[in-house]
Amino acid sequence: MPFREINSRMVEATIAPGQKMFSQRGAMLAYKGDVGFTPNMAGGQGGLASMIGRRVANEATPLMTVEGNGTVMFGHGGHHIQVIQLTGDTLYVEADRLLAFDGTLQQGTMFMGSQGGVMGMVRGQVTGQGLFTTTLKGHGAVAVMAHGGVLELPITPARPVHVDPQAYVAHHGDVRNKLSTALGWRDMVGRGSGEAFQLELSGSGAVYVQASEEKL
Amino acid sequence: MSTAVIHDPATLPSDDNVNAYTFCVELKGSQWFLQKGKMIAYYGRIDFNGIGHGRLDRLMRTSFHSPLHASDWVVAEGSGKMLLADRAFDVNSFDLDDGNLTIRSGNLLAYQPSLALKQSIVPGFLTLIGTGKFVAASNGPVVFMEPPIRVDPQALVGWADCPSPCHHYDHGYMTGVMGGVRALTGFGGASGEEHQFEFAGAGTVLLQSSEALMPEQPTGAVGAEPGVPGSHGSAVPAGGHGSAPRLPGQLGDLQRRFGL
Repeated sequence: MPFREINSRMVEATIAPGQKMFSQRGAMLAYKGDVGFTPNMAGGQGGLASMIGRRVANEATPLMTVEGNGTVMFGHGGHHIQVIQLTGDTLYVEADRLLAFDGTLQQGTMFMGSQGGVMGMVRGQVTGQGLFTTTLKGHGAVAVMAHGGVLELPITPARPVHVDPQAYVAHHGDVRNKLSTALGWRDMVGRGSGEAFQLELSGSGAVYVQASEEKL
Repeated sequence: MSTAVIHDPATLPSDDNVNAYTFCVELKGSQWFLQKGKMIAYYGRIDFNGIGHGRLDRLMRTSFHSPLHASDWVVAEGSGKMLLADRAFDVNSFDLDDGNLTIRSGNLLAYQPSLALKQSIVPGFLTLIGTGKFVAASNGPVVFMEPPIRVDPQALVGWADCPSPCHHYDHGYMTGVMGGVRALTGFGGASGEEHQFEFAGAGTVLLQSSEALMPEQPTGAVGAEPGVPGSHGSAVPAGGHGSAPRLPGQLGDLQRRFGL
């Protein structure tokens, strides 16, 4: 189910019978054909256990299931939209940035501490991800929202990428990330550069960065 | 990286966008109607007159048919170049060729007097009829769609030549036991996409790319007259419970049930 970008803030998705997709509740702008929208209590895929897991992890964004036959236009809050194609790898993204995604993708919740222990948890706090983040795995397309335009930066083993944690949107691929700090005595006396924390991503994949330091 | 462009009267475009957020109107002894407070700068000699003076009475009669909100509009007159903008929203100009277009009142910025502006029957909307250019603002670029289409109420900017805008409710979702539980408790997602505007027939529907609404401009209350929508005249719709529509199978008020 491909997303077609109508403009920078609006995507069009085609729904065929038997297919399913999830979208953030209230993000539909218009639709053609016979399409139904059902609020999804569980906030995504899986059964009751997954729902409780998401509630506990505070990754339970109100989602709705979109089914039927037709085309649907999505957009939300005037935010810029980036369509990401996944080919078998895993996308790490905050649940409230998800605009819409393919029903074929596997949704999960990841504990930040599982990637780098305590440092991972600190990283989650700094990037605004919290202790948990949402993962999407499989083959399909995801529409992700960002404040301002989105830049895709490729990550190669030889070239790690440093990102401002506030501008970080999502990443996919086989990527290790760690928080690098450049805290010094200047930061302690309030004469810091304001860039004391940086997210360092290494491995192979891609990271998406928004042109703003504002959260959604 | 683009450097800042410095404009002067000669390089400013004539009746075109300067950037996505600013529109430049060239006046050569002609007139434009604009909503109050949307002019950000001008070159040349331009007079801005509030509508309602005797001198503009003839103009009012031919191209301004809504005396009820005349105080929100001014007439720009003279020669020069005038820049229009509205709170950093996207601004676009549209040409009408002997057509009609209905637009949300907050989105319309300015129009040529060759067009006639009238209040729409739909409350909160204005209709432009005739031939000419007008300038409208929207949150995100405007997208044009062909009917049949159903549109989120907040994403609708306007429509042209469409005969029948109407409400569409997703009944399968709002009725039944679960629908009742949702409506009563709000649990399980009471707000979603159960209500849209539906457009059928031939025409064009204008959408903005987000649900962020622009503040509505008052279009003026219509006179209390029976049969006029939104007039709160004597013909009060029966059982109007405000916003919530009455669904089949739902219990009505006592008077309704007893047929009083």
